Amino acid sequence: MPAFQITVNGRRRSVDVDADTPLLWVLRDTLGLTGTKFGCGRGICGACTVHQDGKAVRSCQVSAKEAAGSAIVTIEGLSKEGSHPVQRAWLEEDVAQCGYCQPGMIMTASALLAAHPRPTDGQIDEVIGDHICRCGSYPRIRKAIHRAANGGAK
Amino acid sequence: MTSRRDFLKVTGAAGAGLVLGLRLEAKPRPGETTGRPFHPNAYLAIRPDGMAVLTVPKSEMGQGVRTSLPLVIAEELDLDWSRVELTQAMPGPEFRHLGTGGSTSVSTTWTTLRNAGAAAREMLVGAAAKAWGVPPGQCRTEKGFVLGPGGRKSGYGELAEAAAKLPLPKAPKLKAPSEFRLLGRPTRRVDGAKIVTGKAMYGLDVRRPGQRFAAVLRCPVAGGTPKAWDAGKAQAVRGVKAVVQVPSGLAVIAESTWAAFKGRDALAATVTWDEGPNRDFNSKGHEDRMRTALGGPAEAARTTGAAAPALAASARLVEAEYAFPFQAHTTMEPMNATAHIRPDGAELWMGTQGPNAAQERAAAAVGLKPGAVAVNVTLLGGGFGRRSGTDFSTEATEVAKAAGGGPIQVVWSREDDLHHDQFHPATLHRLKAGLDGQGGLAAWSHRIAGGAVLRSWLGGKKAPGQAETEANGAWDIPYDIPALDISYAEVEVPVALGWWRAIEIVPNVFARECFLDEVAHAAGKDPLAYRLELLGKRGKVKMGEEDVDIGRLRRVLELAAAKAGWGQPLPKGRGLGLACHAYDRRTYLAAVAEVSVAKGQLRVHRVVAAVDCGIVLNPDHLVGQVEGGVAWGVSALFSQVTFEKGRAVQDNFDTFPVLRLPEMPQVEVHTVASGEAPSGMGEPPVPVTLPAVLNAVFAATGKRLRRLPVTSADLA
Repeated sequence: MPAFQITVNGRRRSVDVDADTPLLWVLRDTLGLTGTKFGCGRGICGACTVHQDGKAVRSCQVSAKEAAGSAIVTIEGLSKEGSHPVQRAWLEEDVAQCGYCQPGMIMTASALLAAHPRPTDGQIDEVIGDHICRCGSYPRIRKAIHRAANGGAK
Repeated sequence: MTSRRDFLKVTGAAGAGLVLGLRLEAKPRPGETTGRPFHPNAYLAIRPDGMAVLTVPKSEMGQGVRTSLPLVIAEELDLDWSRVELTQAMPGPEFRHLGTGGSTSVSTTWTTLRNAGAAAREMLVGAAAKAWGVPPGQCRTEKGFVLGPGGRKSGYGELAEAAAKLPLPKAPKLKAPSEFRLLGRPTRRVDGAKIVTGKAMYGLDVRRPGQRFAAVLRCPVAGGTPKAWDAGKAQAVRGVKAVVQVPSGLAVIAESTWAAFKGRDALAATVTWDEGPNRDFNSKGHEDRMRTALGGPAEAARTTGAAAPALAASARLVEAEYAFPFQAHTTMEPMNATAHIRPDGAELWMGTQGPNAAQERAAAAVGLKPGAVAVNVTLLGGGFGRRSGTDFSTEATEVAKAAGGGPIQVVWSREDDLHHDQFHPATLHRLKAGLDGQGGLAAWSHRIAGGAVLRSWLGGKKAPGQAETEANGAWDIPYDIPALDISYAEVEVPVALGWWRAIEIVPNVFARECFLDEVAHAAGKDPLAYRLELLGKRGKVKMGEEDVDIGRLRRVLELAAAKAGWGQPLPKGRGLGLACHAYDRRTYLAAVAEVSVAKGQLRVHRVVAAVDCGIVLNPDHLVGQVEGGVAWGVSALFSQVTFEKGRAVQDNFDTFPVLRLPEMPQVEVHTVASGEAPSGMGEPPVPVTLPAVLNAVFAATGKRLRRLPVTSADLA
């Protein structure tokens, strides 16, 4: 069984898994990176969101074969010690309740800001609207994205 | 509080510095002495280096207990909050009541934690005073230091060893709330930095040396069992190690989660099920049985005066049926548990709201004494009552025992999680109100039919006071009505039932507060004015064993209405609706919802909540709980679980929709300042949210919705 070469958080990794293994489980089980979360397995909830070549993707819907040759960034690799403006804003606004959905939210929010540095509420609705939180952190997520867009100011 | 003798017996000698598995000795900083830790009770220890190690006796599911409970200790102990480390309590002789739920974490630990902190503070002061030769009364404490006359100053770490030698104070002096320096502030969540960097550890993230993974194939019909299967098909899948049978089904053991899921899919294709006695269970049949039960014998939950003749004699009788469906939890983290059976005992790792119950049931399942099962409580990726269930942890223990070898993590897919939830039971409600000639409410009857959650949790045993439990929210109706008849008729349910955020209080208050709006309308009265009239100017009213302060309920009702602009003109197509409740007779809330309906779509624009839950430990987290409860309540308006041929029909978020960001209303929270002991806010916002929204729909459209979930056909 050939191994797949995937760059993860800047490191080239070689993973010997079945071709149809979702990237989510390659990350969590093969590489031990458990920051990316499992929520539905069907790409509906967004908890498994990572960056693939700069784009936010749902890692439960990307196979090892499809990930081969690409550069993946997970929540663990988003920044050095939580210094990304989105992560900082998330802490300033105390966004998380249980926190389980937040890595996925943060990966989507950071990709949004990379493409749209000053997103409108409509743009936030569109991308975060595809994510699920059961704890009701939505109002704070919106505030935190605006805060990160404003360079950390409220 | 633990006596010194008990403390020494449980932890062995105090000298080792190893207490409850914690390494309490640390390298001293320059100028500090080596010495022994100060560990006067199960909740706190001060290391020689001054670091405070606090033990959290409740499970963290986002409600903020890992921040608020240690803050209570830190407040009374005058700690430096930046020099605090936390450990999670494990069930055992020192921690018999770790169960987390019912919005009781703060209310039930408030006094214990305050005393624990205050006692330790007095001992540290005593140690300093003794060393300085001054009266303790001339000393004070601040941020981990004892300060004495003449500029004397000693850190808690320095004093630890001497403090440990002093007797435990029997009645330590507690601070007055006006003296609080830490509590009452918007302190940020302790685990925030870990959460945003992916380092927070939930049950699913546990990785023990040599850990394998398992997926369990369970009969889709509750109570069904596998008759025949071909394990070989599963074992042919790369990474699959074994297939073992456990009471809940067939466990596929593998090297990775994906291999376990794949192996299970292969196995599923080969299984013949004996579907058992529940294969015909379906929602329609169940509703018919509930409706029949509404007309049959029922258990009284509360009876006042003589409602039946009063209703018969009333000038106008208002009557309605309300329906609330089966609900699912869908915590974002699906159920899971990691179990390791060793020759001398077992160890578990999972997010659980019931560590003690989980310990007992896991032990019983594999023939161990509870004390031989160590339970490690991780963070919970959502609880909402689902993780009070012990099914998933007991199952993992059985899997690990059957498979042998090292630790195994049993992972539930989202489909498993929905199909095998411990469901919130459907209920049907029949309400009757008798109005006199002047629109006064002379009699009120509310009968509830449906499954009993507590009975399911107890494995079929009926608990005393079942009717009162299942009628919570109905029997404690706060309005002054001379004749009341509140009753409950149990209807058996063959699927597992469990506690779902605010439990029976949600459907009971939904029915009650919506029907009260109907009655107000029939009486030609404004819903706010009518409620105030019915609450009256009473003070404390006895309900069962407890006192409900009607004044506090009036205050939140008036506050919410004022802040929402009740009575002021609204744009066309918009409506306001309100509801209020004294949740479990201890937390007072009112909510006003503003909605609009267009093209069969309901939009909840705003929910204005007024809350009174006693002393507030963290005003920002309080707002978070109200936001969360409102989100949960609005979400519940649009989802349900239905059953056909003994199976749950819904299996993922496409068929069980939950609230998304664009649908989230603006939430305004107005808190009534109070000196009462904290009474809880995890669940209270949920029950008032649903009727506030539905009453607003009536105000906006003239349509009275009595059945949930709301569909676009209802709103067309």
